[in-house]
Amino acid sequence: MTPPKHILGTFDEALGSLRNNVLMMAGLAERSVDRALKGLFQRDDDLCAHAIVDDEEIDQLEKQIDKEGIDVLLRYQPVASDLRRVVAAMKLSPNVERVADQGTNIARRARKLNKHPPLPEIELIQPIQAHAMAMFKDSIDAFTREDVDLARDVVSRDDALDKMNKMASRRLTQRMAEDPDQLRGYLNLIFISRCLERVGDHATNIGEDAVYVAAAEDIRHQPFVAAS
Amino acid sequence: MVSLLDMPQTLTQQVPRQIDRPEDETEREALMIDVRDVDFAYGSNQVLHDVTLEIPARAVTAFIGPSGCGKTTLLRCINRMNDLIEGARITQGAIYLEGVDISAPEVDVVDLRRRVGMVFQKSNPFPKSIYENVSYGLRIAGITKRSQIDEAVEKSLRAAALWDEVKDRLETNAYGLSGGQQQRLCIARALAVEPEVILMDEPCSALDPIATAKIEELIHELKAQYTIVIVTHNMQQAGRVSDYTAFFYLGRLIEFGATTKIFTNPSEKKTEDYITGRFG
Repeated sequence: MTPPKHILGTFDEALGSLRNNVLMMAGLAERSVDRALKGLFQRDDDLCAHAIVDDEEIDQLEKQIDKEGIDVLLRYQPVASDLRRVVAAMKLSPNVERVADQGTNIARRARKLNKHPPLPEIELIQPIQAHAMAMFKDSIDAFTREDVDLARDVVSRDDALDKMNKMASRRLTQRMAEDPDQLRGYLNLIFISRCLERVGDHATNIGEDAVYVAAAEDIRHQPFVAAS
Repeated sequence: MVSLLDMPQTLTQQVPRQIDRPEDETEREALMIDVRDVDFAYGSNQVLHDVTLEIPARAVTAFIGPSGCGKTTLLRCINRMNDLIEGARITQGAIYLEGVDISAPEVDVVDLRRRVGMVFQKSNPFPKSIYENVSYGLRIAGITKRSQIDEAVEKSLRAAALWDEVKDRLETNAYGLSGGQQQRLCIARALAVEPEVILMDEPCSALDPIATAKIEELIHELKAQYTIVIVTHNMQQAGRVSDYTAFFYLGRLIEFGATTKIFTNPSEKKTEDYITGRFG
């Protein structure tokens, strides 16, 4: 439910700007990771290069969100849900920035892989990508719509992603032993899988922040509680 | 110089700053003022409706709400200042101070107002010396021994964080003090007669930021010994100084709770809308 407007219109504008910057930053981070992985699957170094270049704009948005957040705290001294929104936006932006960094890392590894013949085990990455990126999109959605159930659901999916990463790493390690000539390639794929597992961790953090905004509940560092 | 060996090795070994703000109502102190089902009217105009509220001892409780919500009216009920207004009365319910109905016939209203002191929005020192302002209540209580009065005056001025600023000019007129000093003098005057409760009606609204900060610091020190109820329009002040907050609207108590909860996650939408500036 959209809360009623503040009497002070500039307060609504400031909160709106903060929210829009979070959305923009998340969109760019998602695009960066998608481009990096497309660059991997389609063996396209240009896409990888674009993913790396995107990172700078995302870094600037992180600084902008912090600056705007401090400004809102200073000018308007928000309380209750407004305070939670501002604090959560400032906590969320480093997580989004790290997702973009993972995109950059994936792009760099993809470029290395593209220099060699393709490995069939690249298929192991696709389901991990789908799961991780769905978690990230849903975590941002849960934050902006203040959807507690969706946020809790995101947090619940992290275990599955961890298992997928472990299984992929085991398979790739086995292949390294079986085919040592392709060792570097398999190692790069292991790292790419780990980057996506880290995307899931950041999405989990964002989901926890979303629960805090919507329900004023801190669910960090707890055994997982399923969504109602 | 502190040896590195003396420094805490882990975060868990560091001594945290004492946190004395309750997170929830289960940590509340003993009850000091019990407001039960109170209706109040000025003549035929009812301004308080069915107010029930338990004010804990040795804590700061803030009353907040838009203008005309009844918070000052309720404050003035606690020491029966409203008795001085013709036609103003509690029409239902009662207010108890440590279990005794303050409107009971056997209650001495003068003694009530000694036990429940009050500080007003506009500081109102007597047109007398600083010393005479603080000693006045003691003299009319029958204390005549100079040394006893001297001791009480110094103790009260120290408790009000004013002694160092005025100790060398106690015989000068109180009107020569700044606004913030006058307000602290009024607090000292209230403290001199050894109250149990101090009521404050927007005590800082006429003061500059530094004077306000000094009063807020004083409130923090005083609550170890006194029960304090403060009416304030300044939400940030309520958040800073109070342990509990009561939100009033149109003569009704909407929500009461630990200040931390009220200002981070209030239960009532009206409370949330008011404190976030969505109405009022």
